[in-house]
Amino acid sequence: MIVALFILACLVGLPVFFLPVRAKNGYFFGATAIFAALFLYVAASVLGGHGDLAVDGGPANLFGGSKLVVDKLSAFFIAVVSLGAVSAALYCWGYLKPYRKTKPGPHISLHLFSFLLLFVSIVMVVTARDAYGFLFSWELMSVTSFILILFDAGRPEVRRAALSYIVMMHIGFVFLLVGFAVVSAKTGISGFAGMEAYFGAVKGIPLFLVFLAGFGMKAGIFPLHTWLPEAHPAAPAHVSAFMSGVMIKTGVYGMLRVVSFMGPGLSTGGMVLFVVGIVTGLYGAFLAAVQNDMKRLLAYSSIENIGIIFTALGAATIGYTHGNGLMAACAVSGALLHTLNHSFFKSVLFFGAGNVYGRVHTTSLDALGGLSRRMPVTAAFFLCGVVAIAALPPLSGFVSEFLIYYGFFDTVSGGAGGMIASICGIVALSLIGGIVLLAFTKLFGVSFLGSPRSMAARSASEADRLSLAGFVIPVAGILCVGLMPSFFIGGLLTLSTEVYGLEYSPELYASFTGKLWEISAAAGIFIALTLGLLGVRYMILRRQKQQTSPVWGCGFSTGSYKMQYSGESFSEGLYGISTSLTKNSGGGEVVDKNEIFPNEHTFNVRHKDKVSTLLAQWWRESSRRVGKRAVRLNTGKVNHYIMYALVFLVLVFLLTITDVI
Amino acid sequence: MNGILAILFLLGAGILMPGVINRIRAWLSGRKGMPFFQHLYNLRAMVRKGVVTGHTSTLIFRAAPSVCLASVFTAMLFMPVGGLEPILSFRGDVILFAYLLAVSRIALILAALDTGSSFEGMGASREALYGAMAEPALFIVAGTTALVSGYTSFADIFPAMAFRGFSIELSLVLLLLVYVIIKLITVECGRIPVDDPRTHLELTMIHEVMVLDYSGVDLATVTVSGWLKMAALAAVAGNIAAAVTGGGAAAVVGWMALVVAIIAVVESFVARNKLSRNTTYILTIVAIALVLFLVAFILESDIKVG
Repeated sequence: MIVALFILACLVGLPVFFLPVRAKNGYFFGATAIFAALFLYVAASVLGGHGDLAVDGGPANLFGGSKLVVDKLSAFFIAVVSLGAVSAALYCWGYLKPYRKTKPGPHISLHLFSFLLLFVSIVMVVTARDAYGFLFSWELMSVTSFILILFDAGRPEVRRAALSYIVMMHIGFVFLLVGFAVVSAKTGISGFAGMEAYFGAVKGIPLFLVFLAGFGMKAGIFPLHTWLPEAHPAAPAHVSAFMSGVMIKTGVYGMLRVVSFMGPGLSTGGMVLFVVGIVTGLYGAFLAAVQNDMKRLLAYSSIENIGIIFTALGAATIGYTHGNGLMAACAVSGALLHTLNHSFFKSVLFFGAGNVYGRVHTTSLDALGGLSRRMPVTAAFFLCGVVAIAALPPLSGFVSEFLIYYGFFDTVSGGAGGMIASICGIVALSLIGGIVLLAFTKLFGVSFLGSPRSMAARSASEADRLSLAGFVIPVAGILCVGLMPSFFIGGLLTLSTEVYGLEYSPELYASFTGKLWEISAAAGIFIALTLGLLGVRYMILRRQKQQTSPVWGCGFSTGSYKMQYSGESFSEGLYGISTSLTKNSGGGEVVDKNEIFPNEHTFNVRHKDKVSTLLAQWWRESSRRVGKRAVRLNTGKVNHYIMYALVFLVLVFLLTITDVI
Repeated sequence: MNGILAILFLLGAGILMPGVINRIRAWLSGRKGMPFFQHLYNLRAMVRKGVVTGHTSTLIFRAAPSVCLASVFTAMLFMPVGGLEPILSFRGDVILFAYLLAVSRIALILAALDTGSSFEGMGASREALYGAMAEPALFIVAGTTALVSGYTSFADIFPAMAFRGFSIELSLVLLLLVYVIIKLITVECGRIPVDDPRTHLELTMIHEVMVLDYSGVDLATVTVSGWLKMAALAAVAGNIAAAVTGGGAAAVVGWMALVVAIIAVVESFVARNKLSRNTTYILTIVAIALVLFLVAFILESDIKVG
């Protein structure tokens, strides 16, 4: 069935290549929308309680009966993927318009075709149950997203980013391959069923770590995150949005499955997830705060959000092993809801960055500023995303973080097990929250507020309607979750109880969810009060004179746009911490302190990720060393080469008779 | 009804607090000082004056004061006073309380960046940094009260704390928690030694330089939300202390007055920090709070074991 879905997607996608350039996007959007509607229908029926859906048909013999199963967890992820895909498809309609003139038609066709395949392959990933089908879909996902990143292949940094992406993904793939191979060798059952049998019987921490490396590579946990901050700035906006909002969540999905099967080794695995999550979250937040490029900042913020989700997963297992059902349920629901929320607000933010790139042709914060006057609608949507991602009420980010926090607070107050972990979680989450606030006020403030820092930013104008239409679904999602949280929380708590086989006690949940509508009430009061105060202000000011004047500059009016705080100076306070995490590189000449009347200087600074530079360095060095040794084998004499073949054959023979392979 | 009384009390406290601080400061420095209600006269003057906005500023600059005041006010709706239950309460509302205070902060930070002035960027950057550093402290305080009371909503925490008796050790821990909150007020509300509301040099300001370009009714709104924020945080301190000493709403009033008095006394005798020392100062608060949580945790576990 997996293969049938793949073939169907290919057939539906093929006409894109033969359509005229103007019609390609429309057709692609239509196809995506139909697929999404179909998937959403399936997801809704499963989530609605019509039981799991198992389809076992189609050309099954190709991959040994690849079965497609949609249970509630799959259905939830299908919903996330479908919503993300539709909004990205709608957005790229407008985003790709300028490229129709500059790019050859087949190039755009290949891009759209890959996007459709990526969408379907992610759905395949979250529904496949056997190892072959799963790994096939996983690989398809990596390859199609690789093609998508390469859209702007004329730029050398894009090629570099895509290359590092595909290499990292294949290292991750090898981990998964090893994991599934060990599972099926030990239990005789392939796929997730085998995983269940394996973890149910063995305290399989080593294998758990293997899966963590494989899935974590996709999700971008520290220190496997290094592809993210390179790939996202390189890819077009809708691709970044879809990859960051949706694709990396397949890593979360995989870990959710692994954790739900973990038996005796659960407590150790949970601690590992918890610590990895906290480290990833803090690292992502700090690095996001010092970035000076919109998309790179957003990429690091994705790492930070993945950190929060993994922290919640870890907390869930810690709660579970301590018999603390509410903490586990809250944490899993928080993780799931954050997955959904993050796909919404990260789509909004990347679309916003895309609109900025489309008009100003850069995403560097030092060349932006004052865009909220020139692109008011984009700015409003972007602000919505910023408030949501900073987890501020009354928008959606707050709700998912509230659930995770609540799990911790309930543990602390109830005197239940896992108290030390809970206070660590509270401290980490609040610190991450504070730094994220700094990072995103910087992102929004420096790019959209103040006065423009470049001519291009000065002459920017609002994006076209199609580009703005892409915002509608995710913004609606942000508002829905934010303003009506009790609707989502109840369902998610039940969902996570079922997935994790937690003990279900309606009274326990009811006492928690019973008064949660007051979040909506508080949001309503807050909004009404704001509007009321604005009304009062308007009434008062109607009778008074209003004037605009230059901004106060200590007796002068602020003369030059250059005097504004830049992104670099805004996060200056974090230098003490960030210098240990980053390696500063840059060119030009810094103004010397003794230079009383400075001349014109130009210099640029980039805070490079120390981990990724170290990793790249290690990789380069070790491959050079291996290459140096290997080159000795290349003697240029044919008799030596024949001898190598002989040695190989003898080796295979020996290994076979000793039963090693 | 109780809820309305509680919110009215908190509003009243917010309006009176600046007067108390001014009087105590004047008395300690041997001045005659300004009238008790001078800050309200100033407010009236501000509301009567017109508003001047910068050329670059947008809707965000004009809406921020209202957002700021609305968020602080909404946060106050969760705060009980002694036995007076608040209007809103649900399990886990301490989290919403902390985040609503963060909303008031982000509104002003964005408004400051909206002006495009270097001074305001300076203030915004500092406020964002100190806010980020101080964020965990408020959460740990909330966590500690949740730990000793067994509840996660302000409306339940304080009555439960007042109901159970505390050992002398735990009482000390909780009173030290009040000390942490006082320090937190100096950070969140920009008081000495973190920030000096009366300083006249833009380069050394934090909160004041963020609102440098506000005038008229906007400035009045920002000022009032500052007062209310202080009242909300002082009410947390007052409620904790009153739960330890007992005495209901009257004790809360007494303790809140004491908190304000301490802030005023500190302002009279202590110089403000060098800016570079502020990060250390704030992280120290977080560290103290964390130590207090751990001590409370150990004490509580002892009770359960024994």
